[in-house]
Amino acid sequence: MAPSMLVRFLCRIYSVLLYAYPREFRLEYGGEMAQLFRDHCSHLARAHDRQRLIRFGLLSAADWLTTTIKERIASVWSAGRLHVKRNFVTEWALTILIYLFATTTLMQAYVVPTGSMEKNLMVGDHMLVDRLVYSDPGPLGAHLLPYREPQRGDIVAFLYPEDVRQTYVKRVIGLPGDRIRLENKQVIRNGHRLIEPYTQHVDESRFPYRDDFPTSPEFDTTPRGLDMFAHHITNGEVIVPPGTLFMMGDNRENSADSRYWGFVPREYVVGKPLFVYWSYDAPTRDLEQWTLTHVLDVAAHFFTRTRWDRTLFVPRSEAAQEQ
Amino acid sequence: MTKESTEPLTPPVFHILLALTGGECHGYGIMQDVAQQTNDALQLGPGTLYGCLKRMLAAGLVEESSTADHERRRYYRITTLGQRAARAEAQRLAEAVTAARSKRLLDRVKPSMAGGKS
Repeated sequence: MAPSMLVRFLCRIYSVLLYAYPREFRLEYGGEMAQLFRDHCSHLARAHDRQRLIRFGLLSAADWLTTTIKERIASVWSAGRLHVKRNFVTEWALTILIYLFATTTLMQAYVVPTGSMEKNLMVGDHMLVDRLVYSDPGPLGAHLLPYREPQRGDIVAFLYPEDVRQTYVKRVIGLPGDRIRLENKQVIRNGHRLIEPYTQHVDESRFPYRDDFPTSPEFDTTPRGLDMFAHHITNGEVIVPPGTLFMMGDNRENSADSRYWGFVPREYVVGKPLFVYWSYDAPTRDLEQWTLTHVLDVAAHFFTRTRWDRTLFVPRSEAAQEQ
Repeated sequence: MTKESTEPLTPPVFHILLALTGGECHGYGIMQDVAQQTNDALQLGPGTLYGCLKRMLAAGLVEESSTADHERRRYYRITTLGQRAARAEAQRLAEAVTAARSKRLLDRVKPSMAGGKS
């Protein structure tokens, strides 16, 4: 992600968060606080200091948490002293609402459970997902905020269509209308061979289903995958239907993706992975659920098994070149 | 210390006053100055900074100056009362350092920090 995009994203979040302050305080200082935040973020971004930029973001988040409460208490206190009747229940409700909004709507923590996106994302990467960028802005919001549609090459988090309780992260290969097929592990999109530097190949052998997709359904094709084979193949190519995406993992021989379970409906897109805040080397089954053994394991090996060099790693969306 | 009977200041307030002792300044300038004074040990977030300024305005330690730049940022200036409070706080801190030295908690001279003798 370009630094300016990260800055824009942080400023956008921050200006929403300002609404948690009491009204008088926000009207008096909100504008200057937002400007100070923007100034410092762009200053750090110009210096290409991503670590300090994210640290400043986290510092401001902690600062926001404590000072919103402090200013709320101060405003209730002064209201009581001045005998001004104020509906502080609504005021507090607004703050709590924004807390909930911030933690559930804007961002989401996500852990990578499998190696399907290696080498870009590793098993055990804990990251934050920007939930705003691909959300449906409505007719008005589209002009106000920089929302956008998923592009080819974007890394995207989405609900697994066969089981929406799971979130997957993969790369967008096909947009609606694209014709997709594979020939000896290479993606051919709309007749053009893709050069994809982000992929990883771990297996020399050639399986027709996996490497010369689409062939014919196999035992591990899911019901939605069967539907894709039945209705969306023309002349040996998958045609991505309207309102859906064709997703693939970067670890091509080791990824359960659209080849097996079909298209991802647009409304299942959750957001865009922002950065890895903690990367811990643990097996897949421990990452899917926190068990007591996993907690003890983290406590015992936190320093040795944390992959420190991956902290603050930003997964890169990258468009493939067409040949 | 009895002659200056101001209450102890919190570290953010004290460092903001220190920053303003060098001349009037806007919020962002204060934030950078405080980070520089303390070697990044004290990083004021926007909420802390403006919360403090609000209280300091109310207490009369600082005032808004009439200067405004093209970005319409407000500038703040230290008042006489603010100077007195900052001096009293510095005095308090100096006495604390003397006390710490007498208990051998601190070296008499820190070669890296003190230019001459203590």
